[in-house]
Amino acid sequence: MSQSLAPECNEIKEGALKERGIDKLLDEAREDNKENDAALMGKRKSGYITARWDLVTRLYELAIFAWNYGVVTRAAKGFAVLSLVFLLIFLPVERLATREGNLHDGLMRVFWPADLPRSDLRGVVVGWRNSALDVFVLAILEEVEPRNVEWALKMGTLLRNAPHPVSRIYELCGQSAIYVLGVSNTPDTVEVDPSWIRVAIGPGRQPPAVTCLRASSIQVILFERPHPERMQYISLNPIELALGDKHDGFKQEVPDGCEDDDEKEDRKKKEQKRQLVEKLRQHSIFKRVPSAKEKALAKVVNQINCAWELEQLLQKNVSRIGTRPKRTLSVSERVVESATTARDMMLVWMWDMFTIYVWPVIKKIFVLGLVAHRVAGEILLRILEWRAQPGYAALKDVSATAQQVEIRLQQFCYWPMQYVTLRLRKNDWESVTTSHPDYIRFYNSLWLVANDVIIGIALGSYIIDNSGWVAEEISQLLSQYTVDALQSSCIEALRPVLPHVIWFIGFSSFAGASMPIALFSDLLSILTLHIYSFYLASARIYHWQLNILISLFHLFRGKKHNVLRNRIDSCDYDLDQLLVGTILFTLLFFLLPTVAVFYLNFAIARMTIISLKAVFDTMLSCLNHFPLFALMLRVKDPGRLPGGIRFELRDTQDFRHSVDDPTQKEQQQLPSTSVIYLKSVPLSFKAMFHQYFQMGHRIRKHYLSPRVLLCLLTGKFVPPLNRKNLYSLQYSMLPARRAGVLEMWNAVNSLPASGSASASASLSSRKMPVLANGGDGKLPVNHSRGRARGLG
Amino acid sequence: MLTTAPRLYIRRPSPTTAEFTVTTCPPLTLPLRLLLLTLHLLRLVVAAAAVLTLYSRFLSIPPTTTTTTTTTTTTTTTTTKQLLLPPLLAGDVPTLLTTLLQAAHLSQPGVFLTALAAPVADWAVALLSLGALYAAVCFQLHKTESVLVLRGLGIQTCSSASSSAAAAAAAAAGTLGWWWAGKVGGGGAGGGTGSKSGWGTQTRFIPTEKIRDVLINEAFRGFEVRYYLIVVVEGEEELVVLFPGLLPRRKIVEAVWRGFRGCLVEGEGGEKG
Repeated sequence: MSQSLAPECNEIKEGALKERGIDKLLDEAREDNKENDAALMGKRKSGYITARWDLVTRLYELAIFAWNYGVVTRAAKGFAVLSLVFLLIFLPVERLATREGNLHDGLMRVFWPADLPRSDLRGVVVGWRNSALDVFVLAILEEVEPRNVEWALKMGTLLRNAPHPVSRIYELCGQSAIYVLGVSNTPDTVEVDPSWIRVAIGPGRQPPAVTCLRASSIQVILFERPHPERMQYISLNPIELALGDKHDGFKQEVPDGCEDDDEKEDRKKKEQKRQLVEKLRQHSIFKRVPSAKEKALAKVVNQINCAWELEQLLQKNVSRIGTRPKRTLSVSERVVESATTARDMMLVWMWDMFTIYVWPVIKKIFVLGLVAHRVAGEILLRILEWRAQPGYAALKDVSATAQQVEIRLQQFCYWPMQYVTLRLRKNDWESVTTSHPDYIRFYNSLWLVANDVIIGIALGSYIIDNSGWVAEEISQLLSQYTVDALQSSCIEALRPVLPHVIWFIGFSSFAGASMPIALFSDLLSILTLHIYSFYLASARIYHWQLNILISLFHLFRGKKHNVLRNRIDSCDYDLDQLLVGTILFTLLFFLLPTVAVFYLNFAIARMTIISLKAVFDTMLSCLNHFPLFALMLRVKDPGRLPGGIRFELRDTQDFRHSVDDPTQKEQQQLPSTSVIYLKSVPLSFKAMFHQYFQMGHRIRKHYLSPRVLLCLLTGKFVPPLNRKNLYSLQYSMLPARRAGVLEMWNAVNSLPASGSASASASLSSRKMPVLANGGDGKLPVNHSRGRARGLG
Repeated sequence: MLTTAPRLYIRRPSPTTAEFTVTTCPPLTLPLRLLLLTLHLLRLVVAAAAVLTLYSRFLSIPPTTTTTTTTTTTTTTTTTKQLLLPPLLAGDVPTLLTTLLQAAHLSQPGVFLTALAAPVADWAVALLSLGALYAAVCFQLHKTESVLVLRGLGIQTCSSASSSAAAAAAAAAGTLGWWWAGKVGGGGAGGGTGSKSGWGTQTRFIPTEKIRDVLINEAFRGFEVRYYLIVVVEGEEELVVLFPGLLPRRKIVEAVWRGFRGCLVEGEGGEKG
């Protein structure tokens, strides 16, 4: 270092420093470092030292200069400001960025309709964007510029001429706008937004190859779009065939000891389980906040349901994007068009006349008739439901016929309301799936009634033809199973009337096969009233005798039942007590077989009658509630009865293999992709007959339990099954509270407005091609699509 | 030899999606495939024999036709071939079936079967052949249960009884495909992932939002302790047991649990895997 500096220069600098009075310091420093210098430098000692001192002094000067001019403070200020900025802005931003990165970890989810038309043409993918990396593809618009599509979406051109307000769809899907999601079949050279997806599709490849710059792994979820016009849809939960609202009002307060025990046990079990679940809930370690993707599932289901209609609408409006040369009609086409328009005009005029003058009159008459029937039905219902006192049984609780009539009347009251709700469905998008279960319920009940009447006519004519024979059989049975005293008084009086009764039953079956069944059930109850009363009496006697025998047996052993403590105590009886007791015991014991046989006879008869009535009730519930329509739908079109969703992981290997060689390079760039099929699970038959299973379970639990056997053996009264349990099935198709007459009047009268509105809407849409003279607005879908392709 | 202890297969096309399949089916080697194929053929034969016995005992018109046609069996068989064609072309299934059964009844094995069943009482024949038919149709060799984990969507459990028809088809297809796979040198890995969307599959999907936790539980079963995976579902009283029919060993259960943690929940893959 010292060599590089010229000696003259050194001398000058040394002189200058001496002037400044630091030569003294210098000397001291030299003294200090003498040994070191001597050892290290040897001959070049003096040159090195001077050079070092030169540097030091320069720095010293610089420091003084800087201090004098305030450089330090300024630098300090700058440093402070910069560090503040760093702390306040950059650190949080960086933290946020890493968190975001962790949150999404590059997983992209693409919902892709498997039945989307596949072509090799370039296109723009549009759809919903549920979150940054969660997209739902609605349609591929072919041969248009992404920028134009964005503009059209912003202006709403693509959603023009929607049959119903588009905001409803937005509300359903939980989104505020449709976005451009990416491009399809576009070469890599074209620059796109990093959040857009690139899709490669073609006629040969089923799962599209999706890439996105931001995504490290991709889930492609393919689904078949349900067709809303065929009323197909998917749902996360199985469709509810029965009406949801519970019939708490229908519950009868029948204070029944045994039944109460059962219910109490059930309730206790439920309570225990609830507590367990609660405990389990408290034991979970942490509550994870669900991510946006996880929360989107319910929305995605709605989006899938709407996908078909929206795609139709978008494809219809594709022709509006960008500038397109308008094709004028040729002469021959014009001739054809004017001819068809003339015919259409004629038809439209006639239709107008009909709707304006004839239709309202017909409708008015119909509605008035309906309301008159409704009023009559209301009166009948009131009679059937009338109770002498709140706790007492109404007519419908006693007689099966009354119950059957009530069910039919209730259905009749409910139909207009159902019809009105179904008509309102027409004013909305077909993708709205809330009323589909209503539709199934409505037509199911209509169909069941029609079925019932058809079967009833056959059955009725048969019964009427054979009424004499049936009456003969019944009277023979009665004479066999009644005592003489009854025969002489009642049966003889009944005999001539019986054919007429049978004839009446047969005639009633023209109102449905359920009527004769209910009437037979009632007839059975009435004609076997004596058996019932004998059963009650004999059961009581048998029970008493058994009890007396048991207590006398205790006496015989020198014990007695202590009622206060509910136990057996020993007791000292006198001799006369013992004697009388023993004699009585012997007497009763020898009498027991007689009484037992007497009792058993009537008990078995009673059980037979109960089971017969159970059979009748089951037939009734089948006729009134069988899910016939649902079954037919399940066979015809399982898509209309969704029972949940199912995913299926497809092998990614095979589709990669099937791709041609030229695209092999592109496969290398594909992020790890999993192809998943989303499928709708049709409703299981078990779920359809769920209520039947429930009813069967209840009946089994009630009648085929050891408790009932014990009751029979000891002569206790076997309680009949609560009608509430038996008939909950039948009432599950009806609302808990029926709409009043006025309510129905209002609902039916509100309909014409909506009906005429929809009629006028359909009219206007029909007029459209006539008036617009083949403007590009109302071209058929396939036509416009074909043109879009051709122009590309 | 035909079944093994439950084995685990993992299919994981991307780190966010995985399918864990536990099956008792051993890896399909060529001898095993052939064995399975013969087994299914045997089942088919047993079922056919049962149907034939039932038919010849209860449905056909026995004495007159047999006595007249025993001498001309060969000629009838040739004519039945001509008889079979028109209903087959017309798609008339009942006629086809009756003709087929008639022909089988008159053939050598049919006569043998009738002779065999002759000394046995009616009810015994009915019971035996119905039992054989049921066993042949509903016999399950392997049990397969799988769980599909999709990040951001949820868990799907799937238990498929590899029912007879699907398994037979899979075995047949597998035997053919084995040669091809051997030549190409591609996939010899997947044994348990045959045709899953068969007839007896039952699936259940649980959205991630509803999953409170996935954990391994232990329970006594007889004199052993079984470890099993459960899913705690929000708002449900019952816990969902994964692989309920097979209840695989602890090693498998742990592997599946680790896979779950890595796959199901975002941001946990690194720490737990």
